[in-house]
Amino acid sequence: MARVVPDDPEKVLVQAARRGDEEAFREIYRTYREPVWSVVLSLVGDPLQAQDILQNVFFKAFRGLPRFRFRSALFTWIYRIARNECRNHLRKHGPSVVPLEDILGSRYEADTASVADDGSRNRRDALTGAVMQLPFKMREVVVLKYQEDLSYDEMSRILGCPSGTVASRLNRALTELETLMRPSEGTR
Amino acid sequence: MNILCFFLRRKFVPYLDGGLRPGQAGRLEKHLAGCRECGGLIVRIRAGHQAARRFDRLSPDASPRLPEFEEIWARRPSPSRLSPALAVPALLAVAAGLVMLVAVSSRTMTSHSREGLVASHDIQAGREFTPLAIREFAMNSRSRIVTEGFVHNVYYDEQERTLHIKLVEGLQDPEPFVICEIRDVRGLTIPQQGSRVRVYGMARFDAQPGRGWNEVNPVMNIAVLNR
Repeated sequence: MARVVPDDPEKVLVQAARRGDEEAFREIYRTYREPVWSVVLSLVGDPLQAQDILQNVFFKAFRGLPRFRFRSALFTWIYRIARNECRNHLRKHGPSVVPLEDILGSRYEADTASVADDGSRNRRDALTGAVMQLPFKMREVVVLKYQEDLSYDEMSRILGCPSGTVASRLNRALTELETLMRPSEGTR
Repeated sequence: MNILCFFLRRKFVPYLDGGLRPGQAGRLEKHLAGCRECGGLIVRIRAGHQAARRFDRLSPDASPRLPEFEEIWARRPSPSRLSPALAVPALLAVAAGLVMLVAVSSRTMTSHSREGLVASHDIQAGREFTPLAIREFAMNSRSRIVTEGFVHNVYYDEQERTLHIKLVEGLQDPEPFVICEIRDVRGLTIPQQGSRVRVYGMARFDAQPGRGWNEVNPVMNIAVLNR
């Protein structure tokens, strides 16, 4: 993870945002909107709920910027807010039961040309469905590792637990995923 | 499982990623050759790992629309209220109370606060808001819109915990309609049933099961044209 140094453009941006510079806030939103959206959607599963959570994440991030101490990269801090928002949302409302095509709808359409055959598409359906079935703590490590390509250290900072715990949790998530994937893999 | 297994298992995924140094990888492989439990476990983890590597980042296109920056910016507290930690929760609690009050009484109310709203001069000048008839929502691609119609009814949505106004083109015509969702009533005039109103806000489509309607969400301002 990039270390924040005094001349870091990110620090300059955050300081401008703290002074109320709308353009700085806009730049932060422009930079992190899509990665945060991707994580939130993968964690809650419902695009409409994800939209509301995304708004809350950035609302809270903007509101909380004066308390940001540069102890981590800005994206780590925003991801942590996003993760907490998703967890709180799911605690209140329970997991969403949303048809897979509603979650991935247009991506499926866009991917149609690139997907070699129905078999690979079915495997992707099964995989996404399996990830959505994982308990929240397992799902989030899978999303952060395989979707966001984060290191154990980065995940550890976001999740607020030691990297050894991240590793153990990831092992459990992968064995669970293997179990969940087994029936559909077997039908190929 | 002994203590060696415990620590080596934490290296399984880095090993599968090819991220271990040759010496570390060699020690792990030697252990796997002699430990049936770890050997069985890594087979399962490898299968899960290979599957998970196909788990792509979901494209933003998977959403009908990502929120615009302005939607979040409009919700920000004023700078003078940023510092006290309790000010924002207190404001939110007051706003929630106001919503409940409106839902119960269903009467017209006006707050003097302007916070969270589009500046009135913006609205008066009509800047940035694209005029959109209710019947045009289905084909719309603009986010910041202004629309006009008659208030069919006003109700409190228990599920969303927000105040909803159903807007129609004519009071005798139930369709087409658009639902105007008010997240924060502060500074808004809540119109009465039958009023003709002009609503400013963000256009979106609600695809939740059982819905499938167009919305102005959030409503940024309402002008009551007549009652």
